[in-house]
Amino acid sequence: MKLRSGSRLERVLAAGHFAVTVEVGPPQGPNPEVIRRKAEWLRGVADAYNVTDNQTAVVRLSSIAGAKLLLEAGLEPVMQTTCRDRNRIALQSDLLGASALGIKNCLCLSGDHQKASASGKLKGHPGAKNVYDVDSIQLLAILQGMRDQAVQASGDPLEQPAPFFIGAAWTPLATPESFRTLRLAKKIEAGADFIQTQAVFDVARFAAAVKKAREMGLCDRVAILAGIVVPRSARMLRYLNERVPGVEVPEELIRRMEAATQPAAEGKKIAKELIEAVRVIPGVRGVHLQAIENEAVLPEIIQSADLLPRPELNAEPARAASIRNR
Amino acid sequence: MMAPRTETLGEKEAEVFRPEIVVLFCQHCVVPDADLSVATMATSRFRARLVMMPCTSKVEPSHLLKILAEGADGIQVVGCPHRQCRRLDGNLRAEKRIEYVRRLLHQIRMGAERLGMERGLDFSGLQLMLLAERRANAVKPLGRNPMQEERIK
Amino acid sequence: MIIAESKPILELVHQLSGRRRILLTGCACCVAECAAGGEREVETLAPLLRLALKVEGHSLEILTKTVERQCEWEFVEELAELIPQADAVLSLACGIGVQAVAERFPEIPVYPGVNTTSLALREEPGLWAARCQACGDCVLGETFGLCPIARCAKSLQNGPCGGTRKNGKCEVDENVDCVWNLIVERAAAKGRLESLLRIRQPKDWSNSHHGGPKRMLREDLRP
Repeated sequence: MKLRSGSRLERVLAAGHFAVTVEVGPPQGPNPEVIRRKAEWLRGVADAYNVTDNQTAVVRLSSIAGAKLLLEAGLEPVMQTTCRDRNRIALQSDLLGASALGIKNCLCLSGDHQKASASGKLKGHPGAKNVYDVDSIQLLAILQGMRDQAVQASGDPLEQPAPFFIGAAWTPLATPESFRTLRLAKKIEAGADFIQTQAVFDVARFAAAVKKAREMGLCDRVAILAGIVVPRSARMLRYLNERVPGVEVPEELIRRMEAATQPAAEGKKIAKELIEAVRVIPGVRGVHLQAIENEAVLPEIIQSADLLPRPELNAEPARAASIRNR
Repeated sequence: MMAPRTETLGEKEAEVFRPEIVVLFCQHCVVPDADLSVATMATSRFRARLVMMPCTSKVEPSHLLKILAEGADGIQVVGCPHRQCRRLDGNLRAEKRIEYVRRLLHQIRMGAERLGMERGLDFSGLQLMLLAERRANAVKPLGRNPMQEERIK
Repeated sequence: MIIAESKPILELVHQLSGRRRILLTGCACCVAECAAGGEREVETLAPLLRLALKVEGHSLEILTKTVERQCEWEFVEELAELIPQADAVLSLACGIGVQAVAERFPEIPVYPGVNTTSLALREEPGLWAARCQACGDCVLGETFGLCPIARCAKSLQNGPCGGTRKNGKCEVDENVDCVWNLIVERAAAKGRLESLLRIRQPKDWSNSHHGGPKRMLREDLRP
């Protein structure tokens, strides 16, 4: 089957490998060296690298620029794009620009509302006018149209299609849980090729959600990468559990971190165990690792989970079995 | 129970600040034969005007502010205890409105303490005067109400 | 109805410091309903303003008048005889009323006394919550009578984001229900969860303010 974008992430998944993506946070400043430095720490440990888009509504170097910097450093980016700050005109324009720059993976998100900024010490921009012209599902559909029909959202033509490997997020454990698999189905219908989930700590509940998705045939149509956040302390786990919707941390994990004499090391162990646990869930095709402002720990965790080296792919797009049965 | 002192006042009156307190009291929290004429008795420490209301629930922010705009230094609202309002929760509503006006007074830098509420039953005229004095003492540090300048001389 | 809230008193004090006599106008319609600008609020604000300005050392006279609706020319006209007596107007009407007064009486400065914020429903005494964003393209029938444009912080049209709290409240404001959670519950209760699978296309915002200042013309009602 013809590849949609030819991105490495797409090809790794198409070849049937367990994919690894990691998150790279851009700086709150214009210095490209920050990204280049992170690129060096993380070279070779993942198939693709997410660059966040003003996460928690905090102004950071843009995801398109961050993605380009990663490309220049020889890494494949996943450009995260939210609906909070840009209308459909700017979104499509930025996507065309991203494609022109060689960016092939795009993760479509609604985006954190600027009044709910999670970065407590920062003022943020709660007074900003938010956009939300389209939502994440409409954005997925727009991207699919740009790629498969070379059309804009309006129906106007594009001179050429923009080849993207299209991603979406999934928070299977958020209220209302009953709807979350249906929402996943909607995202796939709209155009999602791959999914990166909210952080998984309660493996059993996550597995149950993936099972439901599988029963609906969704796992044949989309590649689910389980989100793994590296914990650093019991307090962090408690914060995630209580304050971040859709993140459920079992009490025993919190207690384990509390009891640990070296919480940072324990956190890495937990991350490794989580990777191994989600890897065996049928329907989970990879992991998406996040170590917020602590990217340096990722290589050893990925190594300890036996996921290195990342697979070598042929220069040409793999002709392996398709990942979709559309 | 101490009676308010009734000395005659001399030249010192002009210098000593005798806060003018308006007491808005509920008719149901005083004894039926309360002697309200005590208010006319001069004291060296404060002046009081006793105003009877059918219920403290009738107190409105606009009344309170008008009383202050007319120059009163402070207002003491006197009502029935919490669960004993004849109009069910009228005195609770009064409390909310009073809190609201206190906040406004604080914001405009007049001082929240110019307004307050006391509760009880079976007050005599003298006891109302004591409650007035309590308010007067809270008001003293805040100084005279600047609106007194605007009173027709 | 339209809801508004009182401006901070110090903001008004700052605005009116140089004035000697103002006309404080109330409106007996929406702003009265939400206790921000009706007769009662006028009667409260007048002495409060005078006190506040006096504390700053200024004397301010305040004339007051509350009209039925400040968004109707015939009621705005009732202010005509008081306007010449003041050097400024402080209107407690919503933004529409303030502008109507300013348009009818361009000779006098007109200041707003409230911040107009939303189209809301009074859920309970003392509690108003937004229900309508005037998007100009009402599709309430598709979401079981619950509006995600007005009640979702992100105006999502295809279901909840990942930010719904465990108790069903919105991530952005813990006091606000996640409207999509309510929509899903209502759909499920009617056995119509499947109807939420349909993908809603990007909204046409052009019939709202996004398409330019709204101008509604009804030829059949013109003189």
